[in-house]
Amino acid sequence: MSAVAAGSFSGAFRWAFARDLRLSWRHPGETMLMVAFFVLVASLFPLGVGAEPQLLQRIGPGVIWVCALLAAFLSLPALFAGDYADGTLEQMLLSPHPMSGWVSGKIAAHWMASGIPLTLLSPFLALQYGLDAGTLTILACALALGTPLLSLLGAACAALTLGARGAGMLLALLALPLFVPVLIFGAGAAEAQSSGLSPSPHLSLLGAGLIVGAMALPAAACVAIRIALD
Amino acid sequence: MNFFYFASPSTFYRLAGILAPWCFAVAAILGAAGLYVGLVQAPTDAQQGEVYRVIFIHVPAAWMSMFLYFVMACYGAMSLTFNTRLAAMMARALAPTGAMFTFVALWTGAFWGRPTWGAYWVWDARLTSELVLLFLYFGFIALGNAFEDPRRGDRAAALLALIGVVNLPIIYFSVLWWNTLHQGSSVSFKGTSMHVSMLTGMLLMAFAFWSYSIGTALARVRTIILERERRTRWVRAL
Amino acid sequence: MNHDFYIWMSYGMTALVIAAEIAWLRLHRAQALRRIEEERDLEAQD
Repeated sequence: MSAVAAGSFSGAFRWAFARDLRLSWRHPGETMLMVAFFVLVASLFPLGVGAEPQLLQRIGPGVIWVCALLAAFLSLPALFAGDYADGTLEQMLLSPHPMSGWVSGKIAAHWMASGIPLTLLSPFLALQYGLDAGTLTILACALALGTPLLSLLGAACAALTLGARGAGMLLALLALPLFVPVLIFGAGAAEAQSSGLSPSPHLSLLGAGLIVGAMALPAAACVAIRIALD
Repeated sequence: MNFFYFASPSTFYRLAGILAPWCFAVAAILGAAGLYVGLVQAPTDAQQGEVYRVIFIHVPAAWMSMFLYFVMACYGAMSLTFNTRLAAMMARALAPTGAMFTFVALWTGAFWGRPTWGAYWVWDARLTSELVLLFLYFGFIALGNAFEDPRRGDRAAALLALIGVVNLPIIYFSVLWWNTLHQGSSVSFKGTSMHVSMLTGMLLMAFAFWSYSIGTALARVRTIILERERRTRWVRAL
Repeated sequence: MNHDFYIWMSYGMTALVIAAEIAWLRLHRAQALRRIEEERDLEAQD
C-alpha cells in the first residue's frame, strides 16, 4: 500500500482509482468482453424485430440504453466482491485512507472501465440504427451523464449484496429497478431530440440526479461495506 | 413509565398480542362500513358508470403502498442509527403487507384501466414507478433473507429501503410533473370533485386498510420475535 | 355497458390476496411455535 498522501480524501481517491484501473488494464480481456457483449446485444435487435429503417430509428436510443444498463450491471459483481473475498476490502478499511475516498475511487474506476467505453462506442451503434447526427450527439451526452449514475447506484447495490446467498440474482433484483429512472430520462433525451423537442429537460434531470447521487451514494456504499465487514 | 419499556422484544411481544386482534376487528368493521357505503350508497358515476367503484380499493391500496414503504424506511433509519432490534423487526414485518398492497393497487388499476382507457397496462410514469416500488419491496424482502445472520440482513435491507425512498416522491408527483394518462388526485383539501358518499367510502376503506396493516405487522412481528428469540428463557417459558 | 367482470376481478383478487396473507401469517406462526416445542423436547430428553 503506497503512503502517498494517506489520510486525505483525494489521496485515497487517487490511490484506489489507480489501483483498480491498473487491475482492469492487466486483464483487458474483461473490458473487451463487455464491449463485445454491448455490440452483440445491440446487433441482435434488428435481427429480432425486423430491419425497417424507421422502426430502427425509433427503437435505437432505447436499445442502446438497455445495452448500457446490462453492460454496467454485468461488471458490477467484480467491483467489490473480489476484494471482499480475498480480504483486501478489510485491509482497506483498516488503512489510514478515509473510506469515502477509496470507495469513490473504486466507483470512478468502474465507470472508466464500463461507462466510458460504452459512451465512446455509442455513436457507432447509433449509426447502425440510422440515427441522425443531432440525436447521436444527444445520445452520447446522455450516456456520458447517465453511466456514472449507473456506476454509483450499482456500487451501493453491489456493496449491499456482499456475502449474500444467490448474490448474482439478488443484485439484479436490487439494481435494475433503481436503474429505471436513468433509462427513462436517458432514452427520453434522445427521443425528444429526434421528435423535434428540446432534450435539455431530460439532460438537466440526469445531471441533477448525478450530482445528488455523487454526494449520497458513495456514503451509502461505505455504510453497506461496513455492514458487510462487521 | 419509560418510553423504551416496550422496546424490549419480550414486552412488545405481549403488547402486540393484545393490540393485533383489536386492529383486525377495527379493520373488519371499517371495511364492512366502507364496502356498504361504496357499493350500496354511493351513486353511479355519470361518466364511468359502475366501474368507478374499483376506486374504493384502488386508491386506498395505492396510498397504503407508499405510506407503508415510508414507515418501513423510517423504521430502517431508526434501526441503523440507534441499532435497535425491534425497529428492524418492524421494518421486516411491514414489507410483505406493503408488497401486497402495491400488488393490489397495480392489479385493480389494470382492471379499472381496461374499460376506461382500453388497455390493462400503459407505460405511464405513475404505473411504472409503482411497479418499481413493487420490485423495491421484493428486493427488501429478498435481501433481508439472504444472510445467515438475521441482524446482517436487517441492516442491509434497512439501507436498501433508505436508498429506495427516492422513488416515493416520483410516484406521488408523477401525475403533476408529467402529462400522463393517469388522472390526478380527485381529493384535495379545498373541496373535492366527488360526491360525499364516494369520499366517505374511500376514507373508510383507507382506514380499514391502515388498521389491517397495523394488525398484520404486529402479528408478523410476533412470529419474527419468536423465531429470533427462540433460545431465550422467556420464549421457552411460554 | 356492463362492467361486472372488471369489478369482480378487482374485488375478488383483493379478497383472495388478503385471505392468502392471513393464512400465510397463521402458518408461519404455527411453524415457529412447533420449532420452539421441538427444541424444548430435545432439551428435555438430554
